[in-house]
Amino acid sequence: MKKYILIIICFIFFAALNSRYVNAQYFKGTDYEKGKAIYKNKCQFCHGIMGDGKGPASESLLGHPEDFTDSKFWKDDVPKKIEETIRKGKQMMPAFDLEPGQIKAITVYINGTFKNSTQNNK
Amino acid sequence: MHCKPICKTFFLFTVIILVQLLLIGTAQATPSFARQTGMKCNECHTIFPELTPFGRLFKLGGYTFSKSGKSYEFPPPLAGMVQASFSDSKSLTTGVAPFDKTNRATDRINLPQQLSLFYGGRIYDKVGAFVQATYDGVDNKIYLDMTDIRYSNNTTLAGKNLIYGLTINNSPTVQDGWNTVPAWGYPFASSSVALTPVAETIIHGGLDQQVGGLGLNVFWNNFIYLGGTLYRTVRNGITKPLGAGTTIDQVVDGAAPYWRFALEHRWKRHFFTVGTYGLRADIFPSGNTIGPTNRFTDVAIDAQYQFMGTIEPEDAKDPAKIDSKPKAVAGHYIITAHATWIHEKQDWKAGFPLDNAANPVDYLNTFRMNFNYYYRSHIGDIAGSVSYFSVTGKRDPLVYSASPDEGSRTGSPESNGFILETDYRPWDKIKFSLQYVIFNKFNGARSNYDGSGRNASDNNTLYAVVWIML
Repeated sequence: MKKYILIIICFIFFAALNSRYVNAQYFKGTDYEKGKAIYKNKCQFCHGIMGDGKGPASESLLGHPEDFTDSKFWKDDVPKKIEETIRKGKQMMPAFDLEPGQIKAITVYINGTFKNSTQNNK
Repeated sequence: MHCKPICKTFFLFTVIILVQLLLIGTAQATPSFARQTGMKCNECHTIFPELTPFGRLFKLGGYTFSKSGKSYEFPPPLAGMVQASFSDSKSLTTGVAPFDKTNRATDRINLPQQLSLFYGGRIYDKVGAFVQATYDGVDNKIYLDMTDIRYSNNTTLAGKNLIYGLTINNSPTVQDGWNTVPAWGYPFASSSVALTPVAETIIHGGLDQQVGGLGLNVFWNNFIYLGGTLYRTVRNGITKPLGAGTTIDQVVDGAAPYWRFALEHRWKRHFFTVGTYGLRADIFPSGNTIGPTNRFTDVAIDAQYQFMGTIEPEDAKDPAKIDSKPKAVAGHYIITAHATWIHEKQDWKAGFPLDNAANPVDYLNTFRMNFNYYYRSHIGDIAGSVSYFSVTGKRDPLVYSASPDEGSRTGSPESNGFILETDYRPWDKIKFSLQYVIFNKFNGARSNYDGSGRNASDNNTLYAVVWIML
């Protein structure tokens, strides 16, 4: 009995240690930090850690996740493009039910992280 | 078996939930995973329940990927499933249908064959679950079916993505993402009333819902998968709920380790997987919970191939609707093939001295392979598949003894045959399947296999099933 309890406690403890609040309203950090947490939870699966559209799920999709390190992505009104894509979805990407503050935070994170990569790498 | 009050309550509760799921409306009248992700069923499934590469990643991600901005899902991710079927075979002797209360096990019509409620999706943040509670219309019982509760996270290792996680589950191989393993292998549905060969490896369902396990798994760079789980019998303690409703007839002494290793490689739209998995379990002879045990050691190799179809524009006739990149909605042609070979060593350390086995050590080999073709047309998904299966092993007249219909005259476990199947999925949530199982050899012989004049071909089975997800 004690072994079972220990196993369950270990599972919960391990999960708790690695869990993060992704709901921006609970987050106390800056928009960039909020955006980073949301990006990791919602976007990274397809768009990748580097924002290059090569996340672990990207290979499995028939379409191509947006490459934020591609200079073409930054030609238009990026905040509007990100907001519309998140709200309405695009190609295989579903629409996400995110709050305006969360969308803003993601935009700040993408802008602050991957736009620089574009300038540095391309 | 009479339906107990709790069984009736579950049945009523399930019907209410299913009706509610129907009434919710089109936007949410899809299974819980689709509602949670906002994606179509066929992103994760070729035709359910077979997984696509994306579906495997969703599973390894702990069922937690969600379009919601919150850390939890509300309403809870519930879904339902109904299977109604028709079986025809010479092995069905009475065939009074429907609801032959005197002998459900010989009903040709099973309405329902199975009724299930699922909790499928995120519980909180990075913890999610696939929990299935089932009413078995043939055995007239309810039980906790496939259950897999996961924690998953990801990081980088050597600059590549690493998905890692924990699993608590109640059936060996249920945590796996490939459809070569027994829990999710072909055929994806089969008759509950037709006769099947007596010999089967322990990893192939022998411990399902009778054990609870805690495991770890990692998937690096979409290339290397490694997993392991330790199982114990769910007789008591906190794991007991994992076996709710299931009669424990295989008691494991101590822990039974399960391991899994697989390599996946993608080339264009082709996905190749080779792997190995296995289990070792020390099991008490039937009725015992102390004393000597029999040791079953299963070692398997498996391979899978998936061609995920061609990329076609969503609306090729309207260039204005096409961005610079193709709008792919689905692979119009999908091909999948699975193969698995399981070798089992049966060390009758307890059974041989008790005269339960004629040999101190027996061997059993099972091989299964299937080829599926899917076409996603404007009138729905159409599929055809062909499968070959084989069981070989050492003769043992005590393990495989002679008895009418289900026994073996020769003491041999050998069986083999083919399965032909066609499927039609007109809508996301409904699938019609027609299956024909052909036995060349059954329990050791083609003719008079049971010593009572029954032939292998007498067990050929025609099976039709309607599978509805809500």
